[in-house]
Amino acid sequence: MSFVCPGCSCLCDDIEIVDGRILHACRRGEEIFEKYKENRAKPMVKGKEVDIDSAIEEATEVLKDSKNTVIYGMDTTTVEAQQLGIELAEKLNAYIDDNSSFCLGEFVEAILRKELPTTTLEDVRDRAYVMVYWGANPFHSLSRHMSRYSYYPRGAKRPRGYEEDRFLVVVDVRRSETAKLAKKNAKFIQVDNDDELVDSFFKVMEGKAAKYAKEAGIILNEMKKSDLNVIFGGLGLKYGLKDLGKFVEMVRKMNEVAPLYFIPAGFHANMRGFNETLFEKTGYVNKYSFKDGKGDVDFAFTSLLQNGKVDTAVIIGTDPVSSLPYDVASKLKEVKTIVIDPRMSPTARVADIIIPSAVSGIEMGGTMVRSDGARIKLEVIEERDVNDIYILKKIEEGL
Amino acid sequence: MMRFSKFLKVEAEIVVARYALVSDETKSRFEPVIFFHPEFAKRSGVKEGDVVEVEANGRAVKLKVKLSESAPESGGIIPNGIFASYLTNFDGFKRFKANIEVAEGEPSSVGEIIERVKP
Repeated sequence: MSFVCPGCSCLCDDIEIVDGRILHACRRGEEIFEKYKENRAKPMVKGKEVDIDSAIEEATEVLKDSKNTVIYGMDTTTVEAQQLGIELAEKLNAYIDDNSSFCLGEFVEAILRKELPTTTLEDVRDRAYVMVYWGANPFHSLSRHMSRYSYYPRGAKRPRGYEEDRFLVVVDVRRSETAKLAKKNAKFIQVDNDDELVDSFFKVMEGKAAKYAKEAGIILNEMKKSDLNVIFGGLGLKYGLKDLGKFVEMVRKMNEVAPLYFIPAGFHANMRGFNETLFEKTGYVNKYSFKDGKGDVDFAFTSLLQNGKVDTAVIIGTDPVSSLPYDVASKLKEVKTIVIDPRMSPTARVADIIIPSAVSGIEMGGTMVRSDGARIKLEVIEERDVNDIYILKKIEEGL
Repeated sequence: MMRFSKFLKVEAEIVVARYALVSDETKSRFEPVIFFHPEFAKRSGVKEGDVVEVEANGRAVKLKVKLSESAPESGGIIPNGIFASYLTNFDGFKRFKANIEVAEGEPSSVGEIIERVKP
């Protein structure tokens, strides 16, 4: 039997456990399966351990009294739990947001709005020739991405794999581990300003001189050799770009030269699931207000905290104390914080109420959405009754 | 013996990047570490194993120095996580300038940062 690793948005579905040994997983994945019983959260209210039902009841009471609630996170839980979280936000007339509002959400939104052409990782494996890792270092963030889906596999139409059938491009501000692979049939472009490279692609297509004209020219020429080329965009791209619209336009224009697709690279296991689930319900991928009936930058979790717009935060399966700037994270002390998480994360350690849940993909089944949009069914190793679904249903029933 | 570099404060370009080997997936461990490019470390008089104070945006943490050729040549990488988040803000979320100085004592702990977030 194979399991799905919930460690990152690759959602590798070939994990096997044989005689207690975890097979095929990367180092992070192996740890997720091996250590899922460690550092578990305990039900707590204001620093005192309580039983799970008391923690849920206390959270429900806090939410009943709250005038402005934000529900935040859910990128590591299942689509089914995300649907319940969105329902709860609607019932509370609350704000809802996830990590994607400061991560790759705007790229996913551009894909869902059909502004960025996209493809599947299986098509990449079988057909892609030029593959650009732009502001992404899969060596650390998506450890099996290159071996399962992109550079190394011998695909149906790319039987000679990386030796001859792939052209690797790495764009980064530093010579990352991935950049060091860019030797034969490859190009490493060290940028200081990503917009200058975008600009160079435009200028080369117009026959003009540009800072990265040589590199852009080589890539455009290589792209012509294939019917499928792909950009994997990571957080380095997101924070290197001043204008996403210009990047989207660049991809559109490059498609006049040869087929080019975009797949976001490097986020939580089911961040795209959250984006798609909220998009189906509201037409927005994140930072949504049910009270106002629209999405807006002011409804981002970070903005709400910084502007003192909420009195209660329900944080599900994510760790803003570790991931958000201090100026934002430190505002958590000004609101009532309810954390639903399997683990005793740094955010759980500052919470007013902790409700321990199950590890998705190990203790709870369901669906997650891979970075390319493929829906993946999770298997369960050891079912845990108190999971995100149970907790969210109990809270909603209690309101 | 007192080292001359103890008195030097240098500016470094910091890149915040995912670094899979410094934390575990249970969120129970996060290494207080900064990876300097070997050339930058040499120029700055910093050695592997030193503890440095890294200051940015009016906040500072102490991190243990490791060397990596994947770091930017004019500075270092702080792994994506609680120590980087403590120093950064959204104007320079993944790339910012910091002042570096060799420091005495132990590196900062996760508990110290949590205490500063919610005393």
